[in-house]
Amino acid sequence: MTTCETIQPRLTAYLDGDLDDERGSVVRGHLRECAACRQLAREEAALRDGLRVLPPVDPPPSLWAGVAARLAAAEVADARKPRWRRTVARLARWAPWPPTMPQYAAGAVLAAAAVVMLYWRTQRADEQLAAGPAVVVPVKRMPEPPPPRPLPSEAIDPAAVAPAGDDVTADLRAEPARTTASYDQVIEELMKLASEARPAWGDDQKAAFDTKLVALRSGIARAAPGRTQQRAQRALIRYLQNAVVRDDVVLASRGAR
Amino acid sequence: MEMLYHQYKRRVFGMAHRIVGTSDAEEVAQEVFVRVFRGLATFRGDSALSTWIYRLTVNAALSHLARRGRRHEVGDDGLTELPAPPITERDSALAARIEAALAQLPPGYRAILVLHDVEGLSHEECATILECRIGTCKSQLHKARARMRELLGPSIAAHAMNTSGSPE
Repeated sequence: MTTCETIQPRLTAYLDGDLDDERGSVVRGHLRECAACRQLAREEAALRDGLRVLPPVDPPPSLWAGVAARLAAAEVADARKPRWRRTVARLARWAPWPPTMPQYAAGAVLAAAAVVMLYWRTQRADEQLAAGPAVVVPVKRMPEPPPPRPLPSEAIDPAAVAPAGDDVTADLRAEPARTTASYDQVIEELMKLASEARPAWGDDQKAAFDTKLVALRSGIARAAPGRTQQRAQRALIRYLQNAVVRDDVVLASRGAR
Repeated sequence: MEMLYHQYKRRVFGMAHRIVGTSDAEEVAQEVFVRVFRGLATFRGDSALSTWIYRLTVNAALSHLARRGRRHEVGDDGLTELPAPPITERDSALAARIEAALAQLPPGYRAILVLHDVEGLSHEECATILECRIGTCKSQLHKARARMRELLGPSIAAHAMNTSGSPE
């Protein structure tokens, strides 16, 4: 049963042709019988037609001049902005969210930060995984340089704290020479490991190793005896350690070990 | 740039005129064209260029009304003081009354009537421009026309009686 209350909300859609045949027929049937709804429909149709034929409104001739002036003013304002603000404005124009929805901007920033954090952590995990074989594959045990001994303070007289009968002063004087000799021994062992690994190296790698070795050895030879020379020795030890470890890692990652 | 201006100046100015009234229409239209020209390079083509320009127009007009409302603390009744635009059509009396009634509508109703009935855009286009669902658009149009009928009163009834005999 159709009533005026059910028909009247559909009149706009009916007059605009937005109803399908069946619904349109129901409205049409009601209009044939109901004078009040028919009058309402006539009024709405007259209104719609009146709106459709409203005359166009001509813009004033000054409109273009105003637009041009505003564009010029906007360019001047742009030029006065600092570079970073222009960059931000340019990026904001290309932002993926509509600028009319600023309430989503904070959420988008948080989501982007979460994605970056997740990506960073994943990358780190990947890097650790990639570097994994060097950790899990048993690498040749290499001698490490002896830990530096604490140097005695000059304010303390070694003889005063040393057990009676020991020539502690002479022992301390011999200490630098012992450290240098110890470093030499480590270098010698590392050189043996490097020479074992050398056949697996490429020509470029061999050449680079030799060049670096000559440079580091000449550094040791030029250095003054004592701490300076020991520093040069430690540089050579670090290089040899890295060279041998790198070789192990390369071989392990190729499944050669 | 000027070609684009000449192509859209009447529709942009006309829409602005009917939504914000005569006194502020030029200011709104200028703002729209500045936004169009400065934003044209970044126009992504998600919709037709015309739809994009009409959306800018409606947004600028409604924002302008919101600002003006805050500034002068006037409601929709204040719009009745706006003068009717010049009429050149044959049925100038009805047109003038329609323009006057249009100026008294709430801005949202004004926007949908201007887009759909005056400019002849489809419900899909109106929904895109107003950023609402098509169903909402149809419902708003129905309410806007009902409010217009109330405002026009006997004048539209008399006009309806003098014109067609049947709404079919």
